[in-house]
Amino acid sequence: MSLKNFSELFVDLDSNNSTNKKIDVLKNYFLSNDPIDNSWAIYLLTGKSNKRFISGRYLKNLFSQIYEYPEWLIDTCYLKVGDSAEVITLLLKNKSTTRKKKLSNISLNELLSKTIPDLSKLNEEEKNLQIKNIWETLPEDNHLIFNKILTGTFRIGVSIGLITKSISKLINIDEEIISHRLMGNFEPSIDSYEFLINKNINLQELNSKPFPFLLANTIEDKIFKNSINDFQFEWKYDGIRMQLIKRSGNVSLWTRGQELVNESFPELVEKMSHIKDDFVLDGELLVWNFKEQIAFDFSLLQKRINRKSPTRSIQIKYPIIFIAYDLLEINGRDIREIKLENRRIELEKYFSKWQIKTENNISDIFKICDLIFPKDWPDALTYKEKSRENNTEGLIIKKKNSIYSSGRKKGIWWKYKVDPMQLDAVLIYARGGSGRRAGLYTDYSFALWKDKELIKFASAYSGLTNIEINELDKWIRKNTIEKFGPVRSLKPEMVFEISFEKIQISKRHKSGIAVRFPRITKWRKDKKINDADSLENAYKLMKKIS
Amino acid sequence: MRDVVLRTKQEYLIRYKDGNLYCELADIWIDPSKPVKRALITHAHFDHFTFGCEEYISTKETAILLKERVGNNIKIKTFEYGEEFKINGINISFHPSGHILGSSQIRFIFAEEKWLISGDFKLQKDDTCKQYELVKTDYLISECTFGLPIFKWDESNKIANDISKWITNSPDKTSLLFCYSLGKAQRLLNEISQTNFKGNIYTHGSIHKMNNSYKKLGIDIKDTIKIENKKKIDELKGSLILLPPSLSKGSYLKNFKNIQTAFASGWMSIRALRKRSGYDKGFPISDHADWDGILEVVKKSEAKNVFFHHGDSETLSKFLVEKESINVLFFGKQI
Repeated sequence: MSLKNFSELFVDLDSNNSTNKKIDVLKNYFLSNDPIDNSWAIYLLTGKSNKRFISGRYLKNLFSQIYEYPEWLIDTCYLKVGDSAEVITLLLKNKSTTRKKKLSNISLNELLSKTIPDLSKLNEEEKNLQIKNIWETLPEDNHLIFNKILTGTFRIGVSIGLITKSISKLINIDEEIISHRLMGNFEPSIDSYEFLINKNINLQELNSKPFPFLLANTIEDKIFKNSINDFQFEWKYDGIRMQLIKRSGNVSLWTRGQELVNESFPELVEKMSHIKDDFVLDGELLVWNFKEQIAFDFSLLQKRINRKSPTRSIQIKYPIIFIAYDLLEINGRDIREIKLENRRIELEKYFSKWQIKTENNISDIFKICDLIFPKDWPDALTYKEKSRENNTEGLIIKKKNSIYSSGRKKGIWWKYKVDPMQLDAVLIYARGGSGRRAGLYTDYSFALWKDKELIKFASAYSGLTNIEINELDKWIRKNTIEKFGPVRSLKPEMVFEISFEKIQISKRHKSGIAVRFPRITKWRKDKKINDADSLENAYKLMKKIS
Repeated sequence: MRDVVLRTKQEYLIRYKDGNLYCELADIWIDPSKPVKRALITHAHFDHFTFGCEEYISTKETAILLKERVGNNIKIKTFEYGEEFKINGINISFHPSGHILGSSQIRFIFAEEKWLISGDFKLQKDDTCKQYELVKTDYLISECTFGLPIFKWDESNKIANDISKWITNSPDKTSLLFCYSLGKAQRLLNEISQTNFKGNIYTHGSIHKMNNSYKKLGIDIKDTIKIENKKKIDELKGSLILLPPSLSKGSYLKNFKNIQTAFASGWMSIRALRKRSGYDKGFPISDHADWDGILEVVKKSEAKNVFFHHGDSETLSKFLVEKESINVLFFGKQI
């Protein structure tokens, strides 16, 4: 099996094919390649490892050295392409005519288990020579893969879900089972692939399956015609939605994206396994401020999500909590058909039982969500407006007599999100994007007035349509005052409405404030720069909420 | 004879004026973007043509293609490739540039000084037009649309095979391939007809029209079916439809069901552009020269002085000055 097949797979997956097509492509790849290559393919596609053997800069320098290319020329090309591995791949194409050596036909396994790891055993000179040798003997179609693996930048729009689906289709076994098998340290080997495609399911695998999640809809005005007493009110937490499952002694944590994340949160798994009952809970995972009893920012949770087997100190630094808001199964009995208000009673009943009867204290990692009891709809609105104070995004409103169905079913759960904060700001800097946005100015910095001066207060790169991005890009090129490397300072002329979720004091910024999730919500072509907001307005916004 | 090196910018035989190439001695403009008295037209693409000039001068093929596109209400004088004509003592001639049918480089000779305007050109094989002709010159004004070393074209038959595979791998889909109606479409048809793809090929009216013009001019173009608005969807399964890029956005695509889309353009060699383009797939094939092509022409033309326009001229210029010691000049203000 050659690397060629994997390169072709990459091209196919990278084309904007439908999900079904991608699944077919993957399935066919698995069918026609060795188990060992298949396991490497899965390893790469799921981003299990992105070890960087050499840096993009190193790669560019090396190319420049070998082929006597000016570095500035490579850098110019980079601005257009946005990815070192791809720049070198394209430049190598230009060198292919001078190639005389016989092409190698190594397999994905050989490349990843031997050729590349062996590079680190060499001294620099030998290493450079070896890379040059590989470039010159590897068929052109494989250069991109090689360069990307080398620089640890092999990423592709394939989710674990897609791999899961294709394996599931390949052997005709439920996706949840495959998910479970893909969990953990997937080490590329013949055995790990054979395990993945084993048609016999063991009991433990069966036991870990989550229920399809019930999702909330954005609120609609018609809800206000109903009696407030028909609904249960909860805070809308900004964490990871999760089903916590304990069956036959085994705990599994499933995200809404059908990912099993036991390894990221071992302390939760451990604690919950002490509970005597079996259950399925629906809830939210958060990094929790135990002192003030509110959630920390989502950014802290991000420090935990992608980290497997976190150290003890990480666990202490970012303490997590699971807040359950629903009970779906208890001791093997599926209770999703019971009304929400009754499920809540069960949830409260079991929670108090577990608090008393569990040997280890569970309340430092697990609780059930508090309910809110607004008197009427205007009161609910007041609660919603207060949600920023406890770091929530608004309210979740659930119909008391509803059953737990699946998907985004209308009229059962509603989300009532707090409006974003907004300021009108002036565009003052632009920077070239990378990756997909290479060659365009797509990263923007915005400023607010302080006396007669414009002070930078936020950077944003999302919110404009492709057409607007192109239009703005043209404008930027024509209205540049100065260039500093990839950054351009711009004539203050364009005003944008910037929305954000949170505003706080920051000593790190000249403006003295930092905002969370800043994004462009409108290009205010109707406004002149003098109409833009002042920093003072930003401070006022901050006072208003705290 | 005066020493050319001592001339000021204003005294170059050809210079940039109002964003266009202009020869003052002959009072003639090259591919002007606004109405002028007399315009030399290198080829029949619309970004090289504007209405309202009193007189156009081009090759015979370009004149015919232009009239097909804009009607007979323009006054065009035509010359054969290589045929010299004189305006105000300047000898002017067209030479094949390999870009599309009828496309040309234009050479000016005055007082033993040779100037060559490359027009849009490519060196790659293209059976639908005359092969690029090497013309030696003292001054070269070259396009450099793809003037970065990351651009290196594959053989066109390789791209055609990729297209063929792309279609046949999705037999249940209708494959929409977007490409420029004039030049690219005909070149693709010619190449695709030599691949394994033997299904039906449909073309949009604008492409169909250009195909017919090519045929009239003696170019062998595969017969295609003109796409009608209410074609039965099932018939189109597994077939290829060539469409102009202007139709890729908007409601036109709603005429089809279960489609896959692709764009044939040199820019598609860059992954970021490919992803951003919104097409499912990109086929990098261009009617412009790649980096090597431009360098080859600069060297083989033996030009002592080179100007660049259309593209990243800064980079290419810096490279030539540093690495090849070629004298690169700049027009006053380029647009």
